[in-house]
Amino acid sequence: MMAPLYEFGRFGDGMGLVIAVLLGIAFGWFLEQGGMGNARKLAGQFYFTDLSVLKLMFSAIVTAMLGLFWLSWAGLLDLSRVYVPETFIAPQLVGGLVFGVGFATGGLCPGTSCVAAATGRKDGLALIAGMFAGVFVFGEAFPAIGHFADSTARGAWTLPQAVGLSYGTVVGVIVAVALGAFAGAEWLERRAERPARRMKIAA
Amino acid sequence: MTTDARRRPGIERAFAIAAVVGGVLAIIAGSPTRPTRGSVDVTELARIVEHEEDHVTATELAKWIRDDKRGLRVLDIRADSEFEDFHVPGATRVPLAEIARMSLDSAGTYVLYSEGGTHAAQGWFLLRARGVKNVFFLRGGLYEWLEQVMNPHVASTTPQAVRDSIRAITLWFGGKMTVVDSATTATPSALDGELSAPHRSDARESIRKIRRRAC
Repeated sequence: MMAPLYEFGRFGDGMGLVIAVLLGIAFGWFLEQGGMGNARKLAGQFYFTDLSVLKLMFSAIVTAMLGLFWLSWAGLLDLSRVYVPETFIAPQLVGGLVFGVGFATGGLCPGTSCVAAATGRKDGLALIAGMFAGVFVFGEAFPAIGHFADSTARGAWTLPQAVGLSYGTVVGVIVAVALGAFAGAEWLERRAERPARRMKIAA
Repeated sequence: MTTDARRRPGIERAFAIAAVVGGVLAIIAGSPTRPTRGSVDVTELARIVEHEEDHVTATELAKWIRDDKRGLRVLDIRADSEFEDFHVPGATRVPLAEIARMSLDSAGTYVLYSEGGTHAAQGWFLLRARGVKNVFFLRGGLYEWLEQVMNPHVASTTPQAVRDSIRAITLWFGGKMTVVDSATTATPSALDGELSAPHRSDARESIRKIRRRAC
């Protein structure tokens, strides 16, 4: 998040850590404010009753994407110095599935489990313990699965490269997809709400 | 469960409209980078090149690095793997294409080097065109650095004071100076910056030796 300023040496490692801590606290604060520390709310995602996670993530993606695009266009940001995590198709598919199973059963993802733990929720603490156990097991098992973990490498692979469209077109399409997803999510939520109300009235 | 009292549809609509406008304009803009235009004073550049003020010797660069020259940025424009293998201490790897659009400190001093001298000289031109005044390149490229700084061969007839200064710089960068018999010396390179380009394999061998020493 602080990559461009850090890259140009505007501040050193110590200051970088201070800024990282402040950004981290702000991140956790806003996640909690959005109700993301609550496993029930997050699990609602998988039952199509509460799609806050989808809306929050897509809002963040669209905000960051438009911000990066236009800051770069204005010459204020050097996109080539923004780190792009490398793609490994097969291992990331498997990892994504494992992650999804953990998310759906635990009701929290790594970031939100920290938020949940910070407010004293026990499920958050349990999930953090699970996360460290998983990191440990993965590290110990790496000699055996390392070959797979490094397979199907695509390097820093971006959507414009993958689909062969211009950067701007991809940005426009993602904005359209996000707005469609928001509308769809609201519709699903309204549908999930109606029977609940009727039951209340009946009771 | 989702009807939240804090929700304000007006703000949500404003954000949605902003996103749509940003997205549609992005499609029109196409690329997040705009063409970088520069202009040069051709006469002045020709004069600089003519007077050989466009490059530094490896020894000069070594002194700048050692003395922590203000605003100095050393750019390595070789391939990534070569950079990983060995580079001038403190250098940043920058592909040539990147030089056309990277953010610049117009008051800084830029030194470019490549494997030989050609790409660095081209990068010099790009940086001048982008308005940086203090740009230099290593005419002999990394070869020159290896020969003059890391692995200098100094004739035994060279005055002691000159030898000591070369040795001091070489040691500072972890290299090794060799004194050769004046009869066999063929490399006065450490003194006047002139260089007979060594073979590629020689440079590779030097890099290997230096890496072994560094380990």
